[in-house]
Amino acid sequence: MPVAPQRETLEADVLIVGGGPAGLACALHLAALIKKHNESGAKPELSTENIYLLEKGREIGANQLSGAVMDPRGLAELVPDFEKSAPLDTPVTDDAAWFFTSKGAWKFPITPPPLRNHGNYVISLSKLSKWLGGLVEKTGVNLFTGFAGSSLILEGDRVCGVITDDKGLDKNSKAKSNYTPGYELRAKVTVLAEGPRGSLTKQLVSHAKLDGLNPQVYSIGVKELWEVPDGRIKPGFVAHTMGWPVPASMYGGGWLYGMQGNRVSVGLVIGLEYADPLFDPHEAFQKYKTHPFIRRVLEGGKLVRYGAKTIPAGGWYSMPRPYVDGALIIGDSGSFLDAQKLKGIHMAIKSGMMAAETILDALAKGNASAKALSAFKDRVDASWAKKQLWSVRNFHQGFAHGLVPGLFHAAFQQISGGRGLVDPMRAHAGHEAYAHLDGRKPPAERFKGDGKLTFDRLTDVYHSGTRHDDDEPCHLLVSDTNICVGRCTQEFGNPCQYFCPAAVYEMVEERGERKLKINAANCVHCKTCDIADPYQIITWVPPEGGGGPNYEGM
Amino acid sequence: MNIVVCVKQVPAKDAPLAIPEGAAWIRETDIGFELNEPDGYALEEGLRLKEKHGGEVVALSLGPERSKQAIKEALAKGAERGVHVSDDKFYELDPLGSAQCLAAAIKREKCDLVLTGLQSDDHGFGQTGVLLAELLGLPHATIIMQIDAADGRLKLKRELEAGWFQWVELPMPAVLSIQSGINKPRYATLKGIMAAKKKEITTLTRADLGVAPSPTQRIERIYIPKKTKKTEMLTGSAKEAAAKLVEKLKHEARVL
Amino acid sequence: MKILVVTEQREGQWNRASFETLAAAQQAARDTGASISAAVVGKGVGALAKELAAHKVAEVFSIEHDLLEKYTPDGYTLALKQVISTEKPDFVFFPHTYQVRDFAPKLAASLGRGMIADCVGLRHENGKLIFVRQMFQGKTAADVVFQGDAPWFASFQAGAFRGDQVEMGGTSSPRTVAVDLKPDQIRTKPLELFREAKQAVDLTQAPIIVAIGRGIKEPTNIPLAEKLAQAIGGEIAASRPICDEGWLPMERQIGSSGQTVAPKLYMAIGISGAIQHVVGMKGSRTIVAINKDANAPIFEVADYGIVGDLFEIVPALTEELAKSK
Repeated sequence: MPVAPQRETLEADVLIVGGGPAGLACALHLAALIKKHNESGAKPELSTENIYLLEKGREIGANQLSGAVMDPRGLAELVPDFEKSAPLDTPVTDDAAWFFTSKGAWKFPITPPPLRNHGNYVISLSKLSKWLGGLVEKTGVNLFTGFAGSSLILEGDRVCGVITDDKGLDKNSKAKSNYTPGYELRAKVTVLAEGPRGSLTKQLVSHAKLDGLNPQVYSIGVKELWEVPDGRIKPGFVAHTMGWPVPASMYGGGWLYGMQGNRVSVGLVIGLEYADPLFDPHEAFQKYKTHPFIRRVLEGGKLVRYGAKTIPAGGWYSMPRPYVDGALIIGDSGSFLDAQKLKGIHMAIKSGMMAAETILDALAKGNASAKALSAFKDRVDASWAKKQLWSVRNFHQGFAHGLVPGLFHAAFQQISGGRGLVDPMRAHAGHEAYAHLDGRKPPAERFKGDGKLTFDRLTDVYHSGTRHDDDEPCHLLVSDTNICVGRCTQEFGNPCQYFCPAAVYEMVEERGERKLKINAANCVHCKTCDIADPYQIITWVPPEGGGGPNYEGM
Repeated sequence: MNIVVCVKQVPAKDAPLAIPEGAAWIRETDIGFELNEPDGYALEEGLRLKEKHGGEVVALSLGPERSKQAIKEALAKGAERGVHVSDDKFYELDPLGSAQCLAAAIKREKCDLVLTGLQSDDHGFGQTGVLLAELLGLPHATIIMQIDAADGRLKLKRELEAGWFQWVELPMPAVLSIQSGINKPRYATLKGIMAAKKKEITTLTRADLGVAPSPTQRIERIYIPKKTKKTEMLTGSAKEAAAKLVEKLKHEARVL
Repeated sequence: MKILVVTEQREGQWNRASFETLAAAQQAARDTGASISAAVVGKGVGALAKELAAHKVAEVFSIEHDLLEKYTPDGYTLALKQVISTEKPDFVFFPHTYQVRDFAPKLAASLGRGMIADCVGLRHENGKLIFVRQMFQGKTAADVVFQGDAPWFASFQAGAFRGDQVEMGGTSSPRTVAVDLKPDQIRTKPLELFREAKQAVDLTQAPIIVAIGRGIKEPTNIPLAEKLAQAIGGEIAASRPICDEGWLPMERQIGSSGQTVAPKLYMAIGISGAIQHVVGMKGSRTIVAINKDANAPIFEVADYGIVGDLFEIVPALTEELAKSK
């Protein structure tokens, strides 16, 4: 690393880190508020040109992935005529919940209320984000794609901005001929909208001790987008499934959504708090597709795209304090997700809007202290976002011991406004749940797939469009690989090889020595490793901006 | 030195290609686009020459509205101005037609040098630079590795096959197509991206340029070539299999 | 109908791709009944013209001038333009060489015509010649036809046709065609030609590639593959993991994040055939796979496969090749 590189500085009023629905909603709403503010003649006059948004993906939407069935509530507030202008794929027409056994499928006679989706839309989050990005650009906000926030500029407890990614470093962190050091981007208010397990959010929560009552807990979602022959599925068909292949001891379930143009979104969600360190979410998803209910739709079709991302499932009690001097935390980074319905897009948008309102006041009054920004929390508390999150505040915690206890707790919570049998129900960090191997042997061969309906991870990774420079520093920092080859092999069998949906981690034998091999180029930026590694020695940092998956249509 | 660099916006390298049955172009919906990689080297070369000799770099692109992205990237990296020859049906133009549009736009500029990449990652015609030279009546050279400019003349290193190179001299103004990989293109910086917003992009049409190309060729259809492959497994000991393979390669596949 | 094949020579040595172009012309002639003229351009190229005349073509001529001794785009363009106006061919075929890329489009444009360059094939359908070329970096093929009047210009990719399949038995006597060139028409001043110790390798130009994958196990085993590459006249290349480890430089990488190649022979040694690699080489004309895993996906794209231990098979191959030389 070049010693103390000379960094250019830029000063902004507001810096938003992350170009997903939360960050974009914040930017768009703030631009509208600034316009009103200026038109009313209020002083000081503000400019959208002093708002910067950083997105690490090569374009807006590139790293965005979700199922998704979106509750339009948030978007309706942000863009009132969204029904005419937003790229909504199809309204939900057919909505059902199923229970799978290995060969059978049993439809719930009454769709449980949380899984009812009429009035919602099947969408591609990537497309939605791209469209929102277009709206944001028109307002004069500076949108920078291919730039990551690499580290926070902290002065004591105050967040003063971020350092953007250094570009042009080789795999040994030495400068290449086009080396361009990251900027020192200073801002009066920094908004962390990095999605689940944001790296700057992680840094800030730790530094300023912002943890909520519970640690955050996560699920992983593994998804494929397919093109299937005519007549297999109707657009707007939404099925959520429980049961096979998710063991009853684990939280998880699958989905199948019909979209326009014979496209199908299919995927599996697994709670990252399971006991079996050898469990492989990607393999479970491949198996899921072989169930007759799913196979019948996909068979003979074509895999279009693959991806994976984590979901913050801790809800209200895992929410970090969302404000410090000079910064706000919104969206998935701030735990704004209804873990019962597994819906976070409308929450992200609402949190972004509330942040925008808070920021306008802060800019108008020239005060971005923690106290001033705490108004964000007040807004949240008074909003439908809190109402919704509060009603499901103990949901995910109920599933810590499996499906049956979870449903049991959920039933009680449903009839008691979310209180249930224990309130607050505590949660434990998912990585603490692993049971020791105790002599169990890892599988000799990894899942290969048939290449038509099911695929090995490398083939899937290829379809994620992920790319990183051949010659750049490894962005997966493992603080002590001795643990990997020693303790972890013994105790847990190196679960990174199994929980990573992109085949990044491999234990290999080199000259008789066991070694951890990191195929960083495969990384799809899901953050599972940062979350699920039993010793918490893996830190995911943003690679050089522009790298990562290309989730077109996802 | 006033330099015009031709840049093209092409489908992203990893974009899955969807070809409607019998079509002559891919379906452009739902794919990403990027600056044509060979043009990136030409642009970098142009920027370096400008930095050394003074002057300006103009980024010129022919294509639909999305082509402005390629121009903006060039502006963010340091080009002074952009010219966009707007054409939704650019993919129907043959190499001569594209070159005629570009040449007409270049004629409006006073330039010392026109730089192109070797070829585009989509059409891959590889003719644009040479055709521009003919249409503009300028000397040219292709597959250029190195450019030394002094006193209105150029000394160029061109690459030939099999590890051979040659120095040539040309007077300016001239057209050069730049070999890929001869430099490491710079990154656009945040300041560069912001400055680019204020730079001028002129939009022109074929009508503005008075260009009405007659096609010399037509792409009837594009398709993914179907491989009907039967793998012949060669058995036996290592020696036996090796001998069989050499025999096959010599007499059946005829590649040795 | 007449097809003119413009061959290429430098300092009295053929660019062998010229004979592949002859083969292409002969195929087109068989389909259309056209006659073939073949030309050599340069100074003092009589011997080469005689050699050309041994091939089955209707006529051969040398285009000679002092100013054609060293290649320049102006010289070649002006000379050929004159020849074309007197000889009036319908088609003008070239090998797609670096040199042809430098002047042939200019020649066509100077006559107001177009060129279909870098063709990988030729078909005769419904009385028309259809030229096949690649687009999207070899991911697709395109059928292209000429429009407008002759002459029509086309160049053929190296290896698309077989130079050793050219019909012999030519009986014509070569003639010389004079052209008029003045020094002030030649704007390029060609200077010395030189060879450099190969700094950058261009795998896309290599006719034979020997690629290694993780099956090679250790960097100390790479010389095994390099010996094979030498014996077979190929370039060494690798799948991504090998380059990631630094065992071979990045420029040797074949695949979705490296080079895309389509040589006449691709040998995949110890490469499993993950899609990331296969997309970079599946256009190769002949693919040989050597892998100890009979189920490795590489065998799906291979023409010839050997299931076995590469550490035995590769040396055996190298030996066999040395024997057969």
